[in-house]
Amino acid sequence: MAKNLKNLFPGLAYVHGDTVVHRMHPLPKLLLLITYSVSVIVFSRVIVAVALFLVLLLFYGFSGLGPGFFLRKLRVIMIFGLMMLLVQIISVQQGQLLFEYTLFNSISLQIWSAGLAAGLIMMLRFINIIVSSYLFVSTTDPNKLVYALMQAGLPYRYGFMLITSLRFIPVFSQDLAIIRNAQMAKGIDLEGVSPGKVIVSVKYLLTPLVICALNKVDCLAISMESRAFGLHPGRSYLYEQAVDLKEWLFLAVSTVLLLGGGFYLTYIT
Amino acid sequence: MGKPVVCVNGVTFRYEGCALPAISDINLQLDKGEFISITGSSGCGKSTLALCLAGFIPHHVAGEMCGSVIINGLDSQQYPPSKLAGIVGLVQQDPEAQMCTLRVIDEVAFGPENLCLSRKEIKDRVEWALEAVNSLHLRDREIYSLSGGEKQRIAIASVLAMQPSLIILDEPTANLDPVGTVEVLQVIKKLEADTAVIIIEHRLKQLMPISDRLLIMDKGRIICDGKPDQVYREFRCGQKRFYAAGFKPGEREGPSQPAAGEKELCLKPSPVLSVSDLSVNLGEKSVLENISFDIFPGQITAVMGGNGSGKTTLLLSLLGINKPERGEIFYRGSSISQEKVSLRARNMGMVFQNPNHQIFENTVLLEAMLPSLMLFKDKALASDMVNSLLEEFELLQYKERLPFSLSFGEKKRLTLVSVLGYQPGILLLDEPLIGQDNLRAEIFWQAVLKHSSAGGISIIVCHDPDFVRNFCDRLLFLDKGTLLLDRPVEEGFNLLKELGFKEYLPGGSIVEE
Repeated sequence: MAKNLKNLFPGLAYVHGDTVVHRMHPLPKLLLLITYSVSVIVFSRVIVAVALFLVLLLFYGFSGLGPGFFLRKLRVIMIFGLMMLLVQIISVQQGQLLFEYTLFNSISLQIWSAGLAAGLIMMLRFINIIVSSYLFVSTTDPNKLVYALMQAGLPYRYGFMLITSLRFIPVFSQDLAIIRNAQMAKGIDLEGVSPGKVIVSVKYLLTPLVICALNKVDCLAISMESRAFGLHPGRSYLYEQAVDLKEWLFLAVSTVLLLGGGFYLTYIT
Repeated sequence: MGKPVVCVNGVTFRYEGCALPAISDINLQLDKGEFISITGSSGCGKSTLALCLAGFIPHHVAGEMCGSVIINGLDSQQYPPSKLAGIVGLVQQDPEAQMCTLRVIDEVAFGPENLCLSRKEIKDRVEWALEAVNSLHLRDREIYSLSGGEKQRIAIASVLAMQPSLIILDEPTANLDPVGTVEVLQVIKKLEADTAVIIIEHRLKQLMPISDRLLIMDKGRIICDGKPDQVYREFRCGQKRFYAAGFKPGEREGPSQPAAGEKELCLKPSPVLSVSDLSVNLGEKSVLENISFDIFPGQITAVMGGNGSGKTTLLLSLLGINKPERGEIFYRGSSISQEKVSLRARNMGMVFQNPNHQIFENTVLLEAMLPSLMLFKDKALASDMVNSLLEEFELLQYKERLPFSLSFGEKKRLTLVSVLGYQPGILLLDEPLIGQDNLRAEIFWQAVLKHSSAGGISIIVCHDPDFVRNFCDRLLFLDKGTLLLDRPVEEGFNLLKELGFKEYLPGGSIVEE
């Protein structure tokens, strides 16, 4: 399951870097992502979608992730987007006929203006949303993000829920690998892939995994509580994650540009 | 000397659903700066006592407690663990599970941050604590990238940063390789003089030189308390087998034992297992390179090496779980390199480090029979064999119980029973000593010796040099995926000494005062 998700969203993880996009404080960056996503959803003209895509490319340029990132990690997303475009073009036949081609004198391929527009919008919206989230995740240290959110008012219990789950994902996946080995050593055939084996593996892997997880959680709870977790309603932080005035300004200007620009292109031109 | 840090008065605790108390009538007093070691067989109540001292009993563990635990003048009945935090610090066995943040510095700052200290105070404490465990250079590292020893040092630092009056360390080196063990023991030894330290350990030898007092627990009671050497002597008189002298080499029966040595090789018995030029990659990384060795009937072979040197990978490759890049594996002369794991497992029984990874059936009996049934499908045969093994391993009384309800050591014995049940020619044991007191370990070893005197071979990944010296014929030492040496044990240790791996020698992890 996890592997399938990984294939769909390959490398969706923080990529260390020291660019302007990486250095931006996680909080205004998150707000910017939200504003951007709102613009993507609210404005439904092709030109706006294209403009937003260009803005995204600009940020990708700044982030130093390089064109390889698009080709390798976002390939599936791009292909999926193109398929959405094709489905719309084939199924919506309204507006003006832009292009027609007859195949073997019988099958006629037509592209209509409304179909093309709807397809482009749908494809770009999809790509813009996913790709901007990818950019955010790839350039934001999750640890910093959660610490920033906690300092901005997120109750620390929720914050640490996120941090401990990030901490334990690799631990559990390692455990799962060992459990799989251990069950195979007992003679349970888990090699190869077939639906039967998937069911067998769930049966043999899940119980030990849950037991191991519970043991670890017990140990973690003792370790956290013996270090005064939950003693006070608030807590202090070693690193203050204050947002620069410049960054607030940048956020404000970007918000005005995104929403204002979108409004202008949608309703005035 | 002033007020004692810890004052335990007549504490008895019984877990909910248990007939007998886990600890009974414990009286203990600990002064500022005192360093005491507690030892005893598995299930003797050491860890329960630790939980009492840290306040988790009675607040978070269901059961019935009498008596009082006073820490720095505070009664644990009235103060929950989070309120005792800053007074008592607890370091647990598993270095992985007790870390709750992603970076070293966040981990060490975690406690002081919870105490709402000022930024400057937190910073000072973090630096001081990291310095105290020789780990200032690790401060910006990510936790997952640390070795076991480093993780345990950071766990100690994160407790130190709370500046507790009492630190309890519950088997802090159990999961570490010899290098990590030495690192951690050196850190423990130089803990601040005004902090009282309680360390719970099976491996006494390492602690004797650094303890002020040694306590021995048995069946929930403290049965000896005094100067380490005195207690050691007194206790050894009573129960010779208890530790150190527990293993008796040279008790093997049967003629099939070709004591490993170069001379015997001219007799040329044919090897049971041959590995030739084995290389294994995991992902992009090369984990084993050009490993070759032959193992002859009856041999007990130890595999030593640091964490990450490829020991476990070697066992998994023999079993076919890790696929080799190159090389061949032969069992009794025929190549098994192409065989599936389920076929190879008929001849090779592997016991993993953590039994929780292996166990999953509903009763002890079913669990013990599972591999026999999976591999040979002969229920009657499996049942007879397994029942007698359960008896031998003192597990028969639990046969209808849920395996997960057993103690760690019992689970470990259960996993060995499940493997011995189908009498494989090769036993692969990964760190079998962890979680076993010496008394129980002996049952374990007698079984291995019996297996070898019947001509079987055992390959044992082990960190304990004393054990290797007493029990094994041969030593394979892996270093960064290559086979650094393959010698009879004594010769192997001499060579290791010359090569500078002194932590791996018998007595090498003892930190002198």
